[in-house]
Amino acid sequence: MDYVIQQVLNALAFGAEYALIALGLALVYSIMNLMNFAHGEIIASAGYAMYLAVALGIGSPWLVAPMAIGAGALAAVLFERVAFRPVRHAPSTTGLLTALGVSIVVQNLFTLFVSPRPRSVPAFNELSRTIFIGPYAVSLLQILELAVVAAAIGGLVMFLKRSTLGLAIRAATREFSTVRLMGIRANRVIAAAFALSGLLAGIAAIFIVARRGSVDPDFGFQPVIKAFVACVIGGFGSLSGAVVGGLLLGFLDVAIVSLLPQEYGGLTDAIAYALIAALLVVRPEGLLARRVELGDKEI
Amino acid sequence: MSQSAESTAPPIGLKHRAGMRPVVRSLIGALITALPVVAIGFLIFAFAPAYLVRVAFAAYVNLLIVLGLQLFMGNSMVANLGQGAFVGIGAYSVAILATPVAMKKLSIPHAPFGLGQIAIDPLLAAIAGLGISGIFAVLTGLVIARLSGEAATILTFSLMMIVHSVFIHWTDLFKGAQAFFGIPQVVGLPSAIAAAVLGIVVARLFKDSRAGLQLRASAESLLAARAFGVDVWRLRLIAWILGGIMCGAAGILYAYFMGTINVRAFHFELVMTTLAMLILGGLRTVSGAVFGSALLSIVLEAIRSFESGAAIGGITLPPLLGLSGIAMGAVIVLGMTFRPRGIFVRLELDELLRRWLLPPAWRRGRGRT
Amino acid sequence: MLGVTADPPAAAPSAPNIANCMLLVDRLSVRYGAVRALQDASIRVGRGELVALLGPNGAGKTSLISGIAGLVASAGSVRFDDKEITGLHTEERVRLGLSLTPEGRHVFTNLTVEENLRLGAATRRDRSEVAADFDKYLTLFPILRDRLHQLAGTLSGGEQQMLAIARSMMSRPRLLMLDEPSLGLAPRIVAQMFEYIQLLKAVGVTLLVVEQNVTQALKFADRAYIISAGAIRHEGTGEEMRADRRLIDYYLGG
Repeated sequence: MDYVIQQVLNALAFGAEYALIALGLALVYSIMNLMNFAHGEIIASAGYAMYLAVALGIGSPWLVAPMAIGAGALAAVLFERVAFRPVRHAPSTTGLLTALGVSIVVQNLFTLFVSPRPRSVPAFNELSRTIFIGPYAVSLLQILELAVVAAAIGGLVMFLKRSTLGLAIRAATREFSTVRLMGIRANRVIAAAFALSGLLAGIAAIFIVARRGSVDPDFGFQPVIKAFVACVIGGFGSLSGAVVGGLLLGFLDVAIVSLLPQEYGGLTDAIAYALIAALLVVRPEGLLARRVELGDKEI
Repeated sequence: MSQSAESTAPPIGLKHRAGMRPVVRSLIGALITALPVVAIGFLIFAFAPAYLVRVAFAAYVNLLIVLGLQLFMGNSMVANLGQGAFVGIGAYSVAILATPVAMKKLSIPHAPFGLGQIAIDPLLAAIAGLGISGIFAVLTGLVIARLSGEAATILTFSLMMIVHSVFIHWTDLFKGAQAFFGIPQVVGLPSAIAAAVLGIVVARLFKDSRAGLQLRASAESLLAARAFGVDVWRLRLIAWILGGIMCGAAGILYAYFMGTINVRAFHFELVMTTLAMLILGGLRTVSGAVFGSALLSIVLEAIRSFESGAAIGGITLPPLLGLSGIAMGAVIVLGMTFRPRGIFVRLELDELLRRWLLPPAWRRGRGRT
Repeated sequence: MLGVTADPPAAAPSAPNIANCMLLVDRLSVRYGAVRALQDASIRVGRGELVALLGPNGAGKTSLISGIAGLVASAGSVRFDDKEITGLHTEERVRLGLSLTPEGRHVFTNLTVEENLRLGAATRRDRSEVAADFDKYLTLFPILRDRLHQLAGTLSGGEQQMLAIARSMMSRPRLLMLDEPSLGLAPRIVAQMFEYIQLLKAVGVTLLVVEQNVTQALKFADRAYIISAGAIRHEGTGEEMRADRRLIDYYLGG
């Protein structure tokens, strides 16, 4: 029983992390049609901000965490302003390659100016302890992660439903030019979407650092690949799809690792991707696809 | 089409060209595009130091991969992130089939199916490698051709991840994460040049063929193409198979040149680099594939020498790890900013040349754009 | 007494003089690549006027108002309320009070009716006035009140058109451009739509309405322009055009 609960918690924690990152990808994709490969570097920027903070002697998690979140948002907005704005109206492959270029540049900036090797960030070490909830021993980090991710998603939903800018972002996912007809500045809507995706990436970065204890230039790469897959599983561009896809992927990962015999451990990826491929063949539009309406005259 | 150009004596040579059959025009166009490829290749082969020949070989292999990528992506406009799988399959096919038995005793002593006891002629192995790539392309293409957009892209990516993890896991056959050595080194730069030229011709002929045209039309509007009775799935499948075989061929050449291969060479970095080359050059044109590869190969090599600590005017610079990456990324970002659709947007090199060089009256035969 | 020429009555102007213009479009041209969609179109809309823009499919009507709204790049000049707005972004033009309800309605289908209306007022800061307007348009279009918390995508065509107009009105535009408000609506709803448009005029909104439904449009328009093959072909009062249908028949094919 303990084992099952532990595995479910593991799955939820992984899933929450993927969901958070996937949400950021979906936010940007849904209004800009941009597959933001540089999202991993937004996460890495938040990671290196924490490294910098610790190096400067700021050790308190209460200070380091907001810095990470701020750095994520800042990096996202900066990338948009410098690299993505000029190619906003170009074909989607152009955006994809631009994002890839940004990703390569930023990764190598970290390599050049910090180090190609992992750098330790001990700010959140005390989170990695076990606490008891009733009779069950659980990891504090995982519980915290679930709570924070739930709060972040809740906050995002509130923002998207209550604020004018949030409404504009949701509206822009379907009718970008009509949003401009409401007198709402396109640049603001896009910057807001990037900032939000950066905030979420910053939060994700905190938990990745807490788990690994270090950052390296590749820091955001693996999680973002997973998040991309989560987005596609859930239905690209759909925000709820990103969350569902992320959670599903978390469960898939944990299930494969815990069910697969030891000697086939190397095939974890193969099996995961085979299942994903099978899912896409059955439901190419993803689980919660965005409905596409054909025939409207474009303006 | 029935009155062929040969039957009527053309008054001027150029007029003759303008009235040529489309296939011939495509072929000539492909050869014009291939001309700098051949010239530069042989100059390097004849005069450059050995290390540069190695660099050039890698660049030509990359070009072949980019051409294979262009053939599928440029016509169907479905982004492909799976080419690494085909390159790897080509390379490992010949590695397993052509490596001498004595070598295999050292490298893969526990090879299944008795593969450790046989070694076939490199040429036969290459043909087998192409066949295996082709079969793999047929099997995967049957599924991938039916999907569009992000789903298709992620499917190609999944494909590469699956193949990669099989390479790593099945150590008895592929040596896993370790280098597979002892492959006969039977090719040189000229073979790579020849293969690249062949690749250019195939890609161009396909693009200009009826199938290519229909596939490109389907990329503009899937619904409209279907309404006109275009069998989009079949066309995508053909492009996928051709592209896959070209990538497989690149892997075969690579293995036969290097003699040692490592599974890492067929992963993300390869995919990203070749994808960047294609989009930077312009993914809709074969010329774009050629010039994008050339541009990025040259930039990468130029900066790589800096990175390892070059000596300029007697001053030895310290090694600057990450510099080549920054430069490559910057080239990509700037390239996309200033030419969002790549260097060659719609017209091929020969079509542009004809437009620039010929007076308007003779432009009638200008290719479809 | 004699010798003093009275100004033409404001109710039936032939063409407003420049000083009294809400919108002054001078030789506006729009092209998409090599295709010329609009060539040197000049129109005027006076304060409080309802002007109709008539023409067959592909004549350039949508190009003209898209150019006025700044949605497409154009050559020529646009003056709005004595202010040069050529070169301003769409958003800035809307903020000045120039609003466009696009063809095909383009309501935000994934938002509720209420959220659509709130976005319409996105540029306004006068909260209490916004609330008053909100109530006003729900009273004008009672069906929207019934559907307030429904997704806009679930509304019928006519309801979506009402929502699109109400959404535009929420920004308190001084000039509202309607692109084909009757397109794709049932005949009964079309008549209703034109009554609403008249109501808007009655409360002082200046309107520029693109229409293919000539009969209905001319019933209410103070003036009308006929546009065909990318150029303005004719201009006249609604009355004139109602009286003499030959021009209309010539350009719009009966």
